[in-house]
Amino acid sequence: MGALVEVRSLVKHFPVRGGVLNRVIGRVHAVNDVSFQVQRGEVLGVVGESGCGKSTLGKCVIRLQEPTAGEVLYEGRPITGLSHSELMPYRRKMQIIFQDPYSSLNPRMTVRAILKEVLTFHRLASGAALEERIRSLIEKVGLRPEAADKFPHEFSGGQRQRIGIARALALDPEFLVADEPVSALDVSIQAQVLNLMMDLREEFGLTMLFVSHDLKVVEHFCDRVIVMYLGHIMEEIACEDLQERSIHPYTRALLGANPINDPDERRPLTVLEGDVPSPYDPPKGCPFAGRCSIASDRCRSEMPPLETRSDSWRVACFEV
Amino acid sequence: MIRRFLGSRALRKFSRDKLALVSLVVILLYLGVAGAVGFFGFIDREDTTDRIGPDNQVGWFETPTVEQRIHALEFYLDQIDGALGRRDPAKALAAIDFFGLRLASTDPDEVGETLDEVAEPFDELYEVLEEDAFDDDPANEERLGDVEEGILGMFVEPEGGAGRFRRLALAFGTDRQGRSILLRALYSIKVAVQIGLVSALISVLIGTLLGGAAAFFGGWVDAAVVWLYSTFSAIPYIVLLMVLASMFLGSSYEGTLVPVYVAFCSTFWIGPCRVIRGEVMKLRELEYVQAATAVGFGRMRVLMKHVLPNTTHLMFINFSLLFIGAIKAEVILSFLNLGVKNEPSWGVMINQSRQEVISGFMWQIGTATFFMFALVLAFNVLSDALQDAFDPKHV
Repeated sequence: MGALVEVRSLVKHFPVRGGVLNRVIGRVHAVNDVSFQVQRGEVLGVVGESGCGKSTLGKCVIRLQEPTAGEVLYEGRPITGLSHSELMPYRRKMQIIFQDPYSSLNPRMTVRAILKEVLTFHRLASGAALEERIRSLIEKVGLRPEAADKFPHEFSGGQRQRIGIARALALDPEFLVADEPVSALDVSIQAQVLNLMMDLREEFGLTMLFVSHDLKVVEHFCDRVIVMYLGHIMEEIACEDLQERSIHPYTRALLGANPINDPDERRPLTVLEGDVPSPYDPPKGCPFAGRCSIASDRCRSEMPPLETRSDSWRVACFEV
Repeated sequence: MIRRFLGSRALRKFSRDKLALVSLVVILLYLGVAGAVGFFGFIDREDTTDRIGPDNQVGWFETPTVEQRIHALEFYLDQIDGALGRRDPAKALAAIDFFGLRLASTDPDEVGETLDEVAEPFDELYEVLEEDAFDDDPANEERLGDVEEGILGMFVEPEGGAGRFRRLALAFGTDRQGRSILLRALYSIKVAVQIGLVSALISVLIGTLLGGAAAFFGGWVDAAVVWLYSTFSAIPYIVLLMVLASMFLGSSYEGTLVPVYVAFCSTFWIGPCRVIRGEVMKLRELEYVQAATAVGFGRMRVLMKHVLPNTTHLMFINFSLLFIGAIKAEVILSFLNLGVKNEPSWGVMINQSRQEVISGFMWQIGTATFFMFALVLAFNVLSDALQDAFDPKHV
């Protein structure tokens, strides 16, 4: 059986307009030729620093944004190019949790209204069954039943994120894109929400694309991880191998920047020099070459292909 | 919901603001009068066009000068004299009726006799006045009183409700055609509120829909809307109002309020359109809008249900601005003879009072201006207070 979601050579460019006639004068290369698979029941992490295109990637996969090129396949069938109505059955199966709990809920709708709208739109329940469904959803995400009639501004950030999760789960989806679901929360709340998501993953049998900039969270939560840099996949590796076996210089740099729990432990500091190149004018060759300690001339002129090193381990680097 | 509103901090803060409460009462009074005139016929259109007495009578707190008193008597004499000259004098005399003020006797002979009695002293007084010698002899004052008694004695004041209505109508004097200034000013409240409500509502509606659609759909829709309002706002506003209003001259809509509505709506929608477009540009990127798309809602549904409802605060602000704006613009337009026709309005009144002001009669321009001023001031004070009350950062 094939992958639940497969992404083939996905490209997303944002046109930059300017001048008197508002012509396209350039493009921001957000996602460049990205391919991967998400197996059923698996959680695939996507990490990278701000602006590397990881959120754009997540939104392109569920067609919140239209990819410039490439294909997204759901259960082997392409969903890129489907019309609004053709896409409707897939909308039910693919949902998204957003990063900012303060802007992800309509301030004028109560929790009940938010859930009710979603459920009745897809004709999933009505009447007493609808009320029961709403009640159980609210309970499942760990809120009290009286939360149903409150407005979003009456909740804290963590509670709002739970409402966002309830909305995503209302349609009983198979595939969930989690777009930095905990990065806007306090650390203590992060753990609660992550634990909730783990429980729900078990219960609903969810497959997830988990976008984050926090390696610790990804390691904790995901089965496999994709490391992205400036729209390209640098390395793809199983989470259990991340610490020990990952070899791409960028992955190593990310790992090196992670704080350690033990205050006495010392390790050599790897500090990355320079800045991320502009996605508006990406360099030729490997985008990381300018900051890489082992980059060769070849890296600066040619983009290294993503090579399969072993099962579920792919690296894009000439030098390792 | 209601209990939460009544106990809210905003309401408490608002109720502490005495000035705001006064303006609220003033506005409610205006709306009450507008409703009473519009729906219950508290003042008929005839009441504002019929003669109530001599022209340019002064209001209740100004003592009329001798000239004005003579002028008033002259008016009544003319009325009776004219009626007596008709083919059927009795019928003509019976027809004399100024808001219930009628002749005590409609017998032509009797009236003619009384008229002859007062005619002589009246003519004498008139001559004295011509020679500017009224103040030379204190007896003149007495003679004037006698003549007044004689002429006004021929009339009977109406009693009860009709009498009170007549006294009310005369409270702010009469205009050049002897019409009640107060009744006209009160009737104008209805016209002003009607124009304000209709123009502001339609303008905000057009502005919201166009601005919202432009920002939400982008592309050519946005380009078209921006082009449209840029073009409209490049034309001086008053000139556009005048052109649009004069376009209707000679059409079947001339004389109705339709030209005014068209002129106002086609210029006023630009304000809300700009503001809402900016707000929707911000809102459409928010995650709850994306979430709605991810659920599969259509574009129109997302716009109508998730984006536009979150711009209501801007709609309210724009509505209140345009409401007052329309009332003020109506005055300007009517002053230029392009606005309200066949009905009194403050602008029409101010326009008519131009000649009166030259001769020192201020009652019409004063009343119309005061009525407009009080409404605009109350509205501004109220919206200021509301903004303070609902601003969470303002203690």
